[in-house]
Amino acid sequence: MVYWILIQKSFMTNLQYKVAHLINNAASAIFGFVFIAIWAGVLQGKEQSSPYDVMDMTYYIAASQCILWLSGFLTAGLNIQNGVRNGAISFELARPSNFFLYVTSQEAGRLVYNFFFRSVPIGLVFALTVGFYVPQHFSSYLFICISVLLAIIISINLHYLVGISACWTTEVAWAHFVNFTLLAGLGGQMVPIDFLPAPLSTLTQYLPFAGAIYYPVMVFLEKASNDVIWIQLFWALVLTLLNLWITERARQKLEIQGG
Amino acid sequence: MNLYLKLLSGSLRSRMQYKMNFLVSSLSYGLIMAVDFVLLAAILQRFNDVKGWNLYEVGLLYGISSVAITLYRVFGVEIHNFERYMVEGEFDSLLIRPVSPLSLLLTKNLDLSRIGGTAQGVIILVISIIGLSLDSFDMFLLLLYLPISIASGVVICFSLGLLTATFAFWTQRIKDFQTFTLYAPFNAANYPMNIYPGWLKIIFFTVIPVGFMNYTPILFLLDKGGSIWNLAWPPAVALGFLFLSLRFWHFGIRHYHSTGS
Amino acid sequence: MIVADQLNKHFKIYETKKGFIGSFTSLLSTKHHVVKAVNDISFNIGEGEFVGYIGPNGAGKSTTIKMLSGILHPTGGSIEVAGLSPQKRRKEVAKKIGIVFGQRTQLWWDLPLRDSFDILKEMYKVPDAKYHAFLKLYDDMLQIGQFMNTPVRKLSLGQRMRGDLAAAMIHDPDVLFLDEPTIGLDVNAKTSIRSFLKELNGKEKKTILLTTHDMDDIEQLCSRVIVINHGQIVLDGSITDLRHNIGLPSVIEVQYREKPQHLPAEFDGIEKMRWEDDKLILMYDRSVLSSPSLLQVVSKWGEPVDIQMKEPDIEEVIQKIY
Repeated sequence: MVYWILIQKSFMTNLQYKVAHLINNAASAIFGFVFIAIWAGVLQGKEQSSPYDVMDMTYYIAASQCILWLSGFLTAGLNIQNGVRNGAISFELARPSNFFLYVTSQEAGRLVYNFFFRSVPIGLVFALTVGFYVPQHFSSYLFICISVLLAIIISINLHYLVGISACWTTEVAWAHFVNFTLLAGLGGQMVPIDFLPAPLSTLTQYLPFAGAIYYPVMVFLEKASNDVIWIQLFWALVLTLLNLWITERARQKLEIQGG
Repeated sequence: MNLYLKLLSGSLRSRMQYKMNFLVSSLSYGLIMAVDFVLLAAILQRFNDVKGWNLYEVGLLYGISSVAITLYRVFGVEIHNFERYMVEGEFDSLLIRPVSPLSLLLTKNLDLSRIGGTAQGVIILVISIIGLSLDSFDMFLLLLYLPISIASGVVICFSLGLLTATFAFWTQRIKDFQTFTLYAPFNAANYPMNIYPGWLKIIFFTVIPVGFMNYTPILFLLDKGGSIWNLAWPPAVALGFLFLSLRFWHFGIRHYHSTGS
Repeated sequence: MIVADQLNKHFKIYETKKGFIGSFTSLLSTKHHVVKAVNDISFNIGEGEFVGYIGPNGAGKSTTIKMLSGILHPTGGSIEVAGLSPQKRRKEVAKKIGIVFGQRTQLWWDLPLRDSFDILKEMYKVPDAKYHAFLKLYDDMLQIGQFMNTPVRKLSLGQRMRGDLAAAMIHDPDVLFLDEPTIGLDVNAKTSIRSFLKELNGKEKKTILLTTHDMDDIEQLCSRVIVINHGQIVLDGSITDLRHNIGLPSVIEVQYREKPQHLPAEFDGIEKMRWEDDKLILMYDRSVLSSPSLLQVVSKWGEPVDIQMKEPDIEEVIQKIY
């Protein structure tokens, strides 16, 4: 299976940067400590008026810093824009393999790497310092896996959307910035979305960004009903279909205009 | 001086050839910072304060820290991207000029797209100063001191950037260090230092002295503690740290002279 | 003008492991071996000389140039360029020398050529009057006027090299180091660069040190050649010495319709003959046998369908010294 080989290859490429990434992990943990400190400072003496106490928020930030490496920090535009710029995309689209799967499986390999060498070590740092939540119910683990997997699919799709837009705009830096800001801001990276001001807090629950960070974190902390997975599933399906359709449009556009 | 102006105008004109790109990137860079601050505002609106600091007070810290790091990113872009000179072996071409490599680096380029972030920081500062509604003497003192605080912040940031860049003489690549020495500390300095655990505080007041640029003076200016000496610390620390980083930089260059790697 | 006295440059090569941690562990480890990139080199280049500094890749050419220009400091020995030590007084020496790296431009990539010159004028504190004289003179010599207002990234390789050469001369240095100035250029561009360098050396009396892989550069320009290999000087003499020592063979490749049955074992002026697949490769001495008469000779042996003139490879020339 060609896509499985792509996943493996991309995993091995990333393995070469292991040590540089470990130093980066320390910085990532510090970011986490800063967020935790802010929440501890904010909630001090006010825990009664908040749905979450300091420990909840510590667990929340710790988990979100870990999952950020699976569904937040993806390659900008999945590098599709480079192919557009140098024209290689015409060949890639013409290959017998599916372009969407070809691109996304390479990113998936990188994420597998991120899980082992970013998320797990960062999680360990938190576990040894401020604490890391351990899900209590055996059945939760199944839902966590599904939720994280769907989060990854949603995020890969969002990044794919940014990348493939290069076929029409050539420059994706701007789109990537916006996408990332929305993902981090409305996805609940630092602030759980139910803390957002009134209309936003309801709206964001139904946006795909929450499905990438907030829901998997809440499922992990066993604070959300497992039904949120349906929202995630909805967005994963819609975005995948959307991307497949857009890829087809891109192919037609390139065939007509010759790149 | 004349040379500096020539170089700056040159770098401005070369940037302006990509107008659209410039506009878009400076806008989006500002936007990210804005969203970050809006989220903070959302939290503080709900919970009032973080360890005794309300939104406007934190905004003051936030503004100073963001203006400092973005100004460094504007003027120190070649220092920040110094690993290119090592990886691609371009450092040689700086050493054949009758001017010091550091002055060449500082004048080679400006990253104006970061100015969007500076504007964002200034806006946050303005909102916070208005929101604080200080009496006129305190306000006067704060406005008087703000430029000193920002300048100290820029110098501290530049020194950190230069220290990190110097590592490139040995390690070639430095991008992964920068998250550790610049991004994470300056993000932390957006918020009051008293929220952090002891070991982090120690780091931010010693090896990565970002606490001095805004927290120390603002503490005194907002009557939250400390003495008038709090106002002397930022420039003193900035200059001392600059001196150290320059020494280390020159040590790095001497190493390069003997190895050329 | 340029004096090197028992010049040495040794590099400690640490056993590096790959990757990021490798650069750290090699920082701490003491395991290393010493490479003598430049090993006891001495020479004295007088004012107005045009010296070719040649040798195979990795022989120590660029290490020497880097030491002469103050980028690297020697491990042992001393250097004087225009009467100063580049190690101790790098910035002063920088004002007296011009350097061109053929592989790498020193112009501002996104700016018009004129802007690069303006910046360099300030950097080297060239007075206005001298600067205008410079622009006029170099427009005459290099015809840079026609693309003065074009951004450097849009120039052709040949134009850029002309720009780079002019940029190196802006402060009117007495000494010029040229590292592969003709690399990658087409024949026309090479010719115009060579005639410029000849003029620079002849009329302006500039001292020039040139490294190159192109034997034509050496033959047409240099009055003196220093050949180095493995960090040591193997020959220092005139172009005639070089020719005398090793000859400067020219190479020709001939492809015949049918492989000729009988070839003379020896022929006056032909140094070497060998078959490579169905191509006959001949090395000959142009001073003994001119190219037209060689062509006559080879066409007597059979019916050539393709003839190609090749420039001798510098690596091959150096090999012959041993």
